[in-house]
Amino acid sequence: MKTFNRYLEYFLVTLMAVMLISVCWQVITRYFLEASSSFTDELARYVLIWIGMLGAAYASGKNLHLAIDLFPSKLKGKSHDHLNIFINLLIIVFAVTTMILGGLWLVYITYSLGQVSAAMQIPLAYVYSILPISGLLIVIYKIRDIILLLRKANSDQPSSLPSS
Amino acid sequence: MVLTEVLILVLSFVVLLGIGVPIAWSIGLSGLFTLIVSIDAMPAFTTLAQRMATGLDSFTLLAIPFFILAGQLINKGGLAQRLIALAKNLMGSLPGGLAHVNIVAAMLFGAIAGSAVAAVSAIGSILGPKMEEEGYSKEFSAAVNITSGTTGLLIPPSNILIVYSLASGGVSIAALFIAGYLPGILTGLLLMIVAAFWAKKKNFPVGERATFSELFKSFINALPALLLLVIVIGGIIAGIFTATEASAIAVVYTLILGFMYRELTIKELPRVFLDSVNTTSIVMLLIATSIAMSWVMSFEEIPQTVTEAILGFSDNKIVILLMINVILLLVGTFMDMTPAVLIFTPIFLPIVMELGIDPVHFGIMMILNLSIGLCTPPVGTVLFVGVGVANTTIVKVIKPLMPLFIAMIVALMLITYFPQISLWLPELFGF
Repeated sequence: MKTFNRYLEYFLVTLMAVMLISVCWQVITRYFLEASSSFTDELARYVLIWIGMLGAAYASGKNLHLAIDLFPSKLKGKSHDHLNIFINLLIIVFAVTTMILGGLWLVYITYSLGQVSAAMQIPLAYVYSILPISGLLIVIYKIRDIILLLRKANSDQPSSLPSS
Repeated sequence: MVLTEVLILVLSFVVLLGIGVPIAWSIGLSGLFTLIVSIDAMPAFTTLAQRMATGLDSFTLLAIPFFILAGQLINKGGLAQRLIALAKNLMGSLPGGLAHVNIVAAMLFGAIAGSAVAAVSAIGSILGPKMEEEGYSKEFSAAVNITSGTTGLLIPPSNILIVYSLASGGVSIAALFIAGYLPGILTGLLLMIVAAFWAKKKNFPVGERATFSELFKSFINALPALLLLVIVIGGIIAGIFTATEASAIAVVYTLILGFMYRELTIKELPRVFLDSVNTTSIVMLLIATSIAMSWVMSFEEIPQTVTEAILGFSDNKIVILLMINVILLLVGTFMDMTPAVLIFTPIFLPIVMELGIDPVHFGIMMILNLSIGLCTPPVGTVLFVGVGVANTTIVKVIKPLMPLFIAMIVALMLITYFPQISLWLPELFGF
């Protein structure tokens, strides 16, 4: 998992750099070569979708998404763990239904209709494939969190574990 | 009929948020629950997935990660200290000197970084200890820092104004940016008045007046940072480049500056990029699920229902604006700003446009309103960061925050009922 996260980090940083370079390239072509390149516009937008979704999965693994912990912080010990397991299950529900099932169906439809992007002519299915991929990652991260929480609930050792 | 859907949407959202489900997932899940009541499961999943992906497919949105990155680079590159030094030489000799330094620095920094959280953490960590040293109470310093951090949301460049432009269906970013100046400065001035009275009452120290050469030197030091503003905002307003292009230029500029000041090394870059990716993807997930939820609401014809209800209640401009402000203040206390803007703009904008209110004016009003919510519990990102940086607690900060809140509400009322404060500059520049 650790090595995988490393690679994911490298990939996300690369995506950010690609996005920055393509917008800069667009500015350069527009002002200095006086011929706006249309593919950089498209590339940057699709990379943003990838960063948004894949990054959301990564942030989910690190439990970085903002939550209101007013009520959870009042609970102690076991009930707190149970609530966290429940929250993780809810996130899995969304990831499985919307991101994986809905995302796969979306990929299938755009692929079978042969929809391609305007400038780069790449199948839109490739762009949308990040939805089920990120969904799957989120499910894996959240199952890991649940296993950790269950283990903690079974042993009495108090330790600090990820909460949602 | 519509009532059932509204009930499901609101109830599921409040319950999910209350038990501690992260905000972005709460939004997505409550949208999902509402949609599967009216259509089959599989089409509901697919439509939501599609809305999330296409919601992020926007050249305008690209400005957000770049402004976030530029903000991080400014933090690393030592520009914050230079701006604070300038603010200190400008404001230090007024009663409650350092409080004014904080407010002006926040306005300058927020203007460059476009993020209230970045401004509050950067300025709080540098100025907070200094203020304590000079005898200001921790709580007062934190309160000033928290409220002044939000002025940067109105003073351009501002990511949240870009989000509003998107939510409103394309109100000009250039017009919004230029419209934000006066309201942002007005809010800052009102905060300064309150801070001055409070400081006088508590006998907080007054700094020495800076000599002209000191002032000039700090101005020259801060000049590269200020020049960035001229390039970015000047370029956007003059129509030379789009907000997205300007944001990319801001990244390149801050990169070069960071290397020139030798406060940044190539080795540190991946870390800075990854931090920006994190912040970006948190915001992007909020945007994706908010856009999906907003689509569910319009599919269920919820905005029309709300419009009819509100216009049925009254058609007086003043009353309706007051109602919307009260609703948004309540929303702002428990909802983060980005989803609030994405979800409530499509509901309220048609109503106010029917009453002849300019969408630029409405946007500025909405952002200022929701800024107040950022400083209040239970959900107040800026409050949390400000309290954390100052090493104090929310309960202790509430008392000095109160008069500053009143100043912000006065600013909100002025900006709501005097549209010229927002619209004078854009009209002057021909928008």
